[in-house]
Amino acid sequence: MELRTKLGTTVAAISITVAGAALAEPKTNVLHQWHSGANAEAINKLGEMYEAAGGQWNQTAVPGHTSNTIARLRADVISGTPPSAVQLKGPEIAEWANTGLTANMNALAEAEGWEDVVAPELVSVMRPDGEWVAVPMNIHRIDWMWASKSAMDAAGATELPKTWDEFNAIAEKMAEAGIIPVAHGGQDWIDGTLFEIVVQGISTDLYRKAFVELDLDALQGLEMQSAFDQLRLMVGWMDDAFPGRGWEEPLNMMAKGEAGFYFHGDWAIGTMNAAGYEYGVDYLCAGAPMNSGDPGYILNSDSVVFFEQTDPDFVEGQALLASTIMTPEFQKVFNVAKGSIPARMDVELGDEFNPCQRLNIKDLRAAADAGTVVRSMAHNMAVPEKFRKAMFTVISEFITSDMSSEIAARRMAESVINEY
Amino acid sequence: MTAVDTIPNLDRKKPLRPSQVLGRIALYATLTVLALFVLTPLAVIILNSIRFNDDILRESFIGWPTRMTLDNWSVAWGEACINASCTGVKPYFWASILMVVPATVISTAIGLVNGFALTKWKMPFAGFIFVAITIGVFLPPQVVLLPWAIALGWLGLSKSLVGLSLVHIIQGTCFTTLFCRNYLINLPDDLIKAARIDGAGFFRTFWKIVVPLSPPIIIVTIIWQFTFIWNEFLFAITFSSSDFRPITAALMSLNADDTGVSEYGFGSAAVLIAAIPPLVIYFLGGRYFVRGLTQGAVK
Amino acid sequence: MPEDAPIPSFAPRPKSRAARLAQLVPMVVLLPTLITTGIYIFVFVLWNVYLSMTSSSILPVYDFAGFDAYTRLWRNPRWTTGVWNLALFGVLYILLSTAFGIFLAILMDQRVKGENLLRSIFLYPIAISFVVTGTTWQWILNPSTGLQSFVRNLGWEGFELSLITDRETAIYAVVIAAVWHASGFVMVMVLAALRGVDSDMVKAGQIDGAGMGKIYRRIILPTIWPVLISVFIILLQFAIKTFDLVLALTHGGPGISTTFPAIFVYDRLFAAGELAQGAAAAVWMLLGLVVVFLPIMALNWVIRRQKGAAS
Repeated sequence: MELRTKLGTTVAAISITVAGAALAEPKTNVLHQWHSGANAEAINKLGEMYEAAGGQWNQTAVPGHTSNTIARLRADVISGTPPSAVQLKGPEIAEWANTGLTANMNALAEAEGWEDVVAPELVSVMRPDGEWVAVPMNIHRIDWMWASKSAMDAAGATELPKTWDEFNAIAEKMAEAGIIPVAHGGQDWIDGTLFEIVVQGISTDLYRKAFVELDLDALQGLEMQSAFDQLRLMVGWMDDAFPGRGWEEPLNMMAKGEAGFYFHGDWAIGTMNAAGYEYGVDYLCAGAPMNSGDPGYILNSDSVVFFEQTDPDFVEGQALLASTIMTPEFQKVFNVAKGSIPARMDVELGDEFNPCQRLNIKDLRAAADAGTVVRSMAHNMAVPEKFRKAMFTVISEFITSDMSSEIAARRMAESVINEY
Repeated sequence: MTAVDTIPNLDRKKPLRPSQVLGRIALYATLTVLALFVLTPLAVIILNSIRFNDDILRESFIGWPTRMTLDNWSVAWGEACINASCTGVKPYFWASILMVVPATVISTAIGLVNGFALTKWKMPFAGFIFVAITIGVFLPPQVVLLPWAIALGWLGLSKSLVGLSLVHIIQGTCFTTLFCRNYLINLPDDLIKAARIDGAGFFRTFWKIVVPLSPPIIIVTIIWQFTFIWNEFLFAITFSSSDFRPITAALMSLNADDTGVSEYGFGSAAVLIAAIPPLVIYFLGGRYFVRGLTQGAVK
Repeated sequence: MPEDAPIPSFAPRPKSRAARLAQLVPMVVLLPTLITTGIYIFVFVLWNVYLSMTSSSILPVYDFAGFDAYTRLWRNPRWTTGVWNLALFGVLYILLSTAFGIFLAILMDQRVKGENLLRSIFLYPIAISFVVTGTTWQWILNPSTGLQSFVRNLGWEGFELSLITDRETAIYAVVIAAVWHASGFVMVMVLAALRGVDSDMVKAGQIDGAGMGKIYRRIILPTIWPVLISVFIILLQFAIKTFDLVLALTHGGPGISTTFPAIFVYDRLFAAGELAQGAAAAVWMLLGLVVVFLPIMALNWVIRRQKGAAS
């Protein structure tokens, strides 16, 4: 493996030299999951900047969630054509770095001083085993609670709930007022997103043990059962038609006031901006309830990983793409569109950013101080895909059936064991 | 149809008894209801393709167009965004055509020649080949998915038109050979014998005797291969990329379920565009297809 | 019957070199198929079997890890649910399609006016891809936009049709779409077989005073039996490969309630990066097919032999 990596580096180095001599035309084909809406707009901004910088832009968008992109990537690698750049994150990055198929971007990283500007939480993800193989595009917060202004008014609530008990009380009032208290979508990752938010709200310690360390006792313990209890309550507040819905439909339900709350990541902001919904008028935002009273933060970060290429045009294209992504201009433009915040800590969040985004960076700093920042399990930041999928199976089954919390918790542990 | 005479029970010349009249009414009523049931999904989609999406969302997915538009068709064909590129289904439609037509023609031609060689010539391994192609017909594609992926990588053909066509030709040859073999085996041997005595070789006999007698099976095979390859999905998503993607894969992406507003209008038009080529093939060749099927394709 | 028919040799003893070469032509013609099919059928399947016994995860590794992958997947609810769904779906799909197909064929066999038109109507679904079928039925069965809202708009406010959003019933939505897809095809096959029934036998039966039911049971059914077996085999094929229909219709959900083995294989191979387990699941599918298949083939063979002996 090591030999292969070294060989790869040498090849890459040689091809850069060759490319330089032959005046290669930088080219890229980015494999990513942002096929529609504000996400697609955001990635197209990257395309524009890349072309402005003299590169030839091409993209392969895979609909669905990250796991679909991962499937595409694996199929491509197995059939001998790894993409030159792919949007990928979390432990997957290290997993691919281990195969020796990734490209080493250390030279560029040093020249541009990435280490000094990238958010410290992300450096180890982008640089597994001391080699920069990826660049971060943003920081997404997962544990957002979006609330409909009109539904809040109808429930007579003036303040967003801070604990799950407060939340339950308001949701109850909304139900009485004839509003669907919880908007929800019908895909496993939407289920997983909601549940990890609940778990983090129950206890950060439980989240770390269960979703990062995959501790079996934590997975089936009493605290996990109480998280499932809370989820069960929330399932009761969903309407019947949620299965089969995507993630944007529940968002619209919330913003239109048909539903009260929606727990989902901040890519929602891009969609709501595009649809013309306004903060304070149509919707409100806050970090999801935390029973501990500490600020919480579930972190997700999109990044682009580079795979070794033989075509000098593509090798050249990788360096250009990495540079483009790391510019403060891109980090600003991209994240304004996407709803996340820059992965570079030296970018100021001005008025072009949404109020929720400015709250995001404040909360991130507070949570970092409180030690409650966790990486998202549901968004492939914490554990390998197979464990994530196994836990999703249980969570989705729990939501769509009347499984008891005790059984659900036990099956979480079992599903994880079975994947070892 | 000549077979009409063999139908039991009813004799055309006798007048119908009252109970028989009732029976006829019940018969036609049942058939009409069932036909309407089968037609409904198509009719709904056709109607939706000329309805405004707002109307569909407001009224129901099932409904009569109160006002009409043809925009759905032009959007679906040339503008709808699929996988972040707003080209409509046009490039994918042509990609499918470019893949399906050659693959169908080539696999059918190979199948017919194979069938001839297997049935009318003394061949070593004929039994083995028969068993192999039969297995090939029944093999679940999942079992060969991974080997195909690796092998196409080695050949440098992954994610390409040529690669996917090759997969379909090789897999399709099993179907076509089986169909043609089962048809040609019933061809009178005397004809071949006569040609042989006249000194005609393999290809001459094939061209002069077999091909003119084979239109029924050729039509069945073409219909089968065309619809099968056009409609195939598993390999289409696994072995395609943004440069080359068959329409089934593109359609799944177009209707992938995470956009806020469902675009039923041009979604329906896109669905129809994907369904039209095999439907046309069926309606043009349907009669022969039925006849050919029973003449030995499926035995 | 075809398989057993002797292959006549027309070749007079080859005399010249040219004639001997001419004898080789058919073999040369068959050679490419022999090679490609051989690779595709035998090499690829064995390759897959080998990969299933390795420790391959995200990339193929060629070592030996035993049958671990084969047993592990039976602890995975996505697999066991998928197998159960396939069994339930397969039985319902084959039975219902065949029943509807035979029923339609009998109706069509009553010297119906407009037979060609009706046949085209009943047959068209088979020409349509599973992706299109699934997408269309998803739209129709979706409670918030489809049939349910349609009926409610007509005035029946309490009408409920939540087949695809209820985990207990979603599998039946898949069955409905699949039966819609295949019934016409079965009808056409059966109808053609009915047309092949010996009319003298039927007349003889009528003279003996047998009712239509008895005639169908005693005379017609035995004649169309081989076609029914063909139909069964073709439908079984469709059932076991079920993949795109479900993806388009329910995406395997709600939860994992409509997942299928074919989806599991794709998922394991590519999404989960468990190549060995994906390959093992595919081998299980093949084994399952063989287990259902062999008795059918044997039955088919017996029936054909009996028919051969009788005539």
